[in-house]
Amino acid sequence: MTTTTTWTAANSRRLARRERRRRLGPLGVLTHVALLVWTVLVVVPILWTFLASVKSEDEIFGDAWSLPATPHWDNFARAWEQAHIGQYMLNSAIVVAFGTFGTMLVGSMAAYVLARYPFRGNRAIYLLFVSGLAFPVYLALTPLFFVVQNMGNVPLVGPFIGLNTHAGLVLVYIAYSLPFTVFFLSAFFRTLPTAVGEAAMVDGASHTRVFFQIMLPMARPGIVSITIFNVLGQWNQYQLPLVLLQERDKWVLTQGIADISTAAGYDQDWSALFAALTLAILPMLVVYTVFQRQIQSGLTSGALK
Amino acid sequence: MTAFHRYRRGLFITAFLAAPVTLYLVYVISPYLQAFYIAMTDWRGVTATPSFVGLDNFGRLLGDGVFWKAVTHNAALLVLLPLVTIVIALFFAFLLNVGGGQGGQGVTGVRGSKVYRVVFFFPQVLAVAVVAVLFQQVFRPDGSGMLNGPLMALGLGPVGFLSDPGVAFWSVLGVMVWQAVGFYVVLFSAGLASIPREMFEAAQIDGAGRVSLFFRVTLPLLWDTVQVAWVYLGILALDVFAIVWVMTDQHGGPDWSTTVMAAEIYRNAFQYFRFGYASALGVVMFFFTVGFAILSLRFSRRERIEY
Amino acid sequence: MPNTPRITRRELLRGAALVPVAGALAACATPAAKPSASASAAPAATSAANPFGVAETRPLEIWIFDGGFGTEYATKIHEPLFKQKYPKAEIKHNATKEITKVLQPRFAGGNPPDVIDNSGANAMDFGALAQDGQLQDLTPLLDAPSWDDPAVKVRDTIDQSVIDIGTYDGAFSVLGYVNYIYGVWYSQKAFRDNGWEVPKTWDAFLKLCDAIKKSGTMAPFTYAGKFPQYLYEPLLTTAAKIGGGEVLVHIDNLEDGAWTSEPMRTAAAAWAEVGAKYLMEGTAGLDHVQTQTAQNKYKVAMLPSGSWLENEQKTTTPADFEYGMFPIPDMGSSDKLPYGTLHTQPGENFIVPSKGGNPQGGMEYLRAMLSKKAAGDFSELVRTVSVVKGAGEGRALSPGAASASKAFADAGSNTVYYRWQSWYAQLKDEAVAATGELMTGGLTPEKYLERLQKKADEIKNDSSIKKFKR
Repeated sequence: MTTTTTWTAANSRRLARRERRRRLGPLGVLTHVALLVWTVLVVVPILWTFLASVKSEDEIFGDAWSLPATPHWDNFARAWEQAHIGQYMLNSAIVVAFGTFGTMLVGSMAAYVLARYPFRGNRAIYLLFVSGLAFPVYLALTPLFFVVQNMGNVPLVGPFIGLNTHAGLVLVYIAYSLPFTVFFLSAFFRTLPTAVGEAAMVDGASHTRVFFQIMLPMARPGIVSITIFNVLGQWNQYQLPLVLLQERDKWVLTQGIADISTAAGYDQDWSALFAALTLAILPMLVVYTVFQRQIQSGLTSGALK
Repeated sequence: MTAFHRYRRGLFITAFLAAPVTLYLVYVISPYLQAFYIAMTDWRGVTATPSFVGLDNFGRLLGDGVFWKAVTHNAALLVLLPLVTIVIALFFAFLLNVGGGQGGQGVTGVRGSKVYRVVFFFPQVLAVAVVAVLFQQVFRPDGSGMLNGPLMALGLGPVGFLSDPGVAFWSVLGVMVWQAVGFYVVLFSAGLASIPREMFEAAQIDGAGRVSLFFRVTLPLLWDTVQVAWVYLGILALDVFAIVWVMTDQHGGPDWSTTVMAAEIYRNAFQYFRFGYASALGVVMFFFTVGFAILSLRFSRRERIEY
Repeated sequence: MPNTPRITRRELLRGAALVPVAGALAACATPAAKPSASASAAPAATSAANPFGVAETRPLEIWIFDGGFGTEYATKIHEPLFKQKYPKAEIKHNATKEITKVLQPRFAGGNPPDVIDNSGANAMDFGALAQDGQLQDLTPLLDAPSWDDPAVKVRDTIDQSVIDIGTYDGAFSVLGYVNYIYGVWYSQKAFRDNGWEVPKTWDAFLKLCDAIKKSGTMAPFTYAGKFPQYLYEPLLTTAAKIGGGEVLVHIDNLEDGAWTSEPMRTAAAAWAEVGAKYLMEGTAGLDHVQTQTAQNKYKVAMLPSGSWLENEQKTTTPADFEYGMFPIPDMGSSDKLPYGTLHTQPGENFIVPSKGGNPQGGMEYLRAMLSKKAAGDFSELVRTVSVVKGAGEGRALSPGAASASKAFADAGSNTVYYRWQSWYAQLKDEAVAATGELMTGGLTPEKYLERLQKKADEIKNDSSIKKFKR
C-alpha cells in the first residue's frame, strides 16, 4: 500500500513536471521573461545605488556602470558621521517606536469600546474617527503647525510637546494614525466571540482587565497587522516632520536623506549621498525579508478589510 | 445591571475614550476646522492679525494658472496611476498564482513565485523620500546616470527624464508605479488565494487558455479587490507630495510640469508665507478628495459574484 | 500607501456628511496666539561704545547660509570679534543650506534667531518678511559710530547702493555684506592655450562660441540648468545694457509692458540663440555645482555667475585654472550703456529679526562685521569683495577676485541691479520656470516675455501682495 502511494505520488509529480514543460511553450517563456523584467526593474536601481555607495567621487561622475577600482568604505563613515545618518535613524526609531506603541494602545482602546459598548454618541464618535480617512492632511498642515506651537506654551509639559520635539511629533503621529487604526480594529473586535469576555465578567473581572487580558490577546492577528501598517507608515512620513521638526538634530531619516540630496549640490559629496541612501535602504530590506510573510499579510489584510 | 455596574461601565467607556478622542480633536479635527476659517483670511504670518476677506482667496485661486496646472496633473495621475498599476499588478498576480498552468496539484503559479513576490514588494518598504532621492540619481541627465549611461552608449540619449518638461511628468508617474506595483501584486494574490481552486480547474477542463482564464474567471472574481485598489491608488494620486517635492527640479518643475496640489499648498504656505491662500487651496483639495471618495463609492455598487 | 490616509468603504459617505455640521464650529477656532519674544528683548543702557544697549549676558543666535562662502568667516572672524567685546554672551552658531525650510517657521512661530545670513537659492522672501514687520529697522546701525573710528558713522563706511538696496518700506533693514559682481566666467588658461579672446561685442561672442564648438575641445557655454535664475541674470543685464538701467527699474516697479520692452525682446532673442546652439549637452538637468565642475574639468568654456564662484569651486579648481570674468558684450552701437557695464548687487544679505530675543546684539554683530579688519579678513578668506570701503586694500587677491575687482573699477558708475526677485517670490518662481523653457526652446522669446508680463500683471493686480517701488 505504502509503496504504491509513494510510487503514485512520485509518478504524478513526474507527470506534472512533464506536463508543465509541455505547456510552458512560448507563452510560458514569456511569463518568465515578464517576471524577470520587472525583477530587474525593481532590483537594479537599488543595486546600482549600493554600487555607487562604494565609488569615489570621480567614478560616480564617470561611466554609470563602471565598477569601483577600490571600494571606498569611508563614504559610509562620512554619511554616518558628517551627514548624521546615524542620528536621524535613531530619531526615526524613537519616534516610530513611541508613535506606533501609542497608536496601538489608544487606538485599540477606542476601537474596543466603540465596537463592543453601545452607548449614546457611540456612532457619532466612530464616524468622527472614520471620516478622518478622507481628509487630505495638507489642508490641516498650516493650522497644525500652530496647534503644535501652542502646545509648546502649555504649562509644565509644553517644552516637551511643542514644535521641534519628538514627543510632539509622536502625539501628532498617533492622532493621524487613529482613523485607520480605529476603523480596522473595531471591525476586528466585532468579529471576536463575546462568550469568553462575558464569562470573565461574571467571575468578577473588571472591564479593563477583560480588555487587556482577554480581548487584546484574542485580537492579536489584527493588532499585528495594524502595527506593521503603522510602523511602515510612520517610518516613511516626510511631510509632517518637515513642518514640525525644523532643528537639524531632531530630524528623522526621511528629512535627512532629502537634505543630503540638496546639500550634495554644495558639498560635492555625492558618494556620501549614495552611502546614506544605502544606509536608509538596506536595513529596511533586511527587516522586510525576514518578516516578509507577516508584513505582506499584515498590509494586505489591512487593506482588504 | 445594577447602578454600580452601570457606573463602572460608564467610567470605563469614558476612561478608554478620553485619550484617543482628545488627541484626535486637538491634532486632527481642530486644525481642519481652523483651516476653513483661515482660508477666508489674508493671513501671512503671526504678527499681522488675520483679517477676514470672505471668499477673496477662492476668487484668486480661480485665476491661479499654476494651481490649475497642479490640478490637471493630479487629475491625470488619478486616471493613469490606478490604471497602469492595476493592469501591471493584475498581470503579475495572475502569472504568479495561476499562470503556471495545470500541474499534478491543479492550478499553480510559476516556479519561484514566492521569490518574485518578495522582490516585487521591495519598493513598498522604502520611504517615498528615499525613493525620490534614489531616482534623482537614476535619472541623472548625463552619462553618469543609471539610465542615461546606457542610453548614451547606444546613441539614444541623453533623455532629460527630470529636466525636459515633456518627460518629467512621466518620470514621476513611472516612479509612483514602480513603487506601488508590488503591493498590489500581493493584494491581488491574496484575493486570488481566496478564490476556490476548482473554479480555475473547471474552466481549464472546459478548455480555457490562460488568456480566457484571466478574463473569464480571474478578473470577475477579483473585481471587488480591484475596486479597493482603485480607491487607494486614487487617494495616492490626489495626495502625492514627497516624490514631486524631493525628486523634481524646482519642486514641481521644470516649468511647473510636475507640480501637484499638495506642493502648491506647501509652497504658498511655507515659501510665500500666504497661509490664508494656502488654506483656500487646501479647502479645494479637500473637496476634490471627498468628491472622489463619494464618486468611487457610488460606482462601486456593482454586484458581487457569489461563490 | 501606508503613509497616506485611506478611504474605506461606505462609512465614508456618512463620515463626509459630518463635515459641514462641524464646519459651523470653525469660526470659534482662530489662529495661533502670539507668544511674545520681546519680553527679554528690552535694551540695556546705551553708551558710545555700546550704541544699541547690548545686554552683556544675553545669548546671540546666528544662522549662516552654508553656501559658496562656507561658514568659517563667521566662526573664525566675525563671531570671535563679537565675543572679544562681549565675553559673557553665549554665541549660538548655526548653519544651513536651506534657510527657508529651517527658519521661515521660526518666524511664523514668533521666535526667530538674532542674526541671519538670508542667502542662497532657498533664501526667505524679503518682501513677505518686511510686510510682516519681521525685519529690524537698521537705521540706528547706520547712524552709530563705526567699530574702528567713533568719529565716522557706519553709514559712511559702506556704498550708498547697499543702503538703497537694503531699504524696504523706507527702512534700511537688509545689509548686503558682499559686493557681488556678475559676469561671464572662464578659465584664463584655457583661453590662452586655445588662442581665444574675450569678446567685446555680441557678434564676437557668437563667433567665439562657434569657434569653440568647431574646435571640439569643449562645449562653448553652460549655466546651472536646474536653477535658471543663473541665466535670467545675464539676460536682464543685457537688456539693461541696451536700454539703460531704467529697463530694470520698470520691471522692479511692475510697470505695464516692462517685460515686453524692446531691449528685453532683443536680449531674450539673443540668449535664446545661445540656448539653441551653444549649450553643453545635458545643461538643462545640471545644477550649478555640476556645471561649474564641468568647467573646472575643461568640458565647457564659459558660464554666467557671480564673484562668489571662485571660492565656491576652490576644491575642484585646478591650480593653474586662473578664473577670469568679462562683462556682457556690446549688442550694438546704440547701446545706452557703454562696454564694461556690470550687474553688481550687494549679496550675502544679513538681517536682524525684529522679534528675536536679542535685536540689539544682532545690530552690534553687524557693526562688528563692518569693521575694516573683519571685512578685510573676510575678503582674503573667501576670495571676494566686501561692501566695506577700502577693506580690500593691500590684501592679496586671487585671480578671479582680481579680475572681478578690475572689472568693477573699470565699470565706474555704469552698474545696474534689479530687486523684483527678492520682492516678489512668485514672479521669481515663474521667471525661473519660463527661463528654463526659453533656453531649451520650449518658449519663443515673445511668448517668454508675454508670460512674465502676465505674471507681473497678476501680481500687480493682487491686492494681497505688498508692492515695492524703487
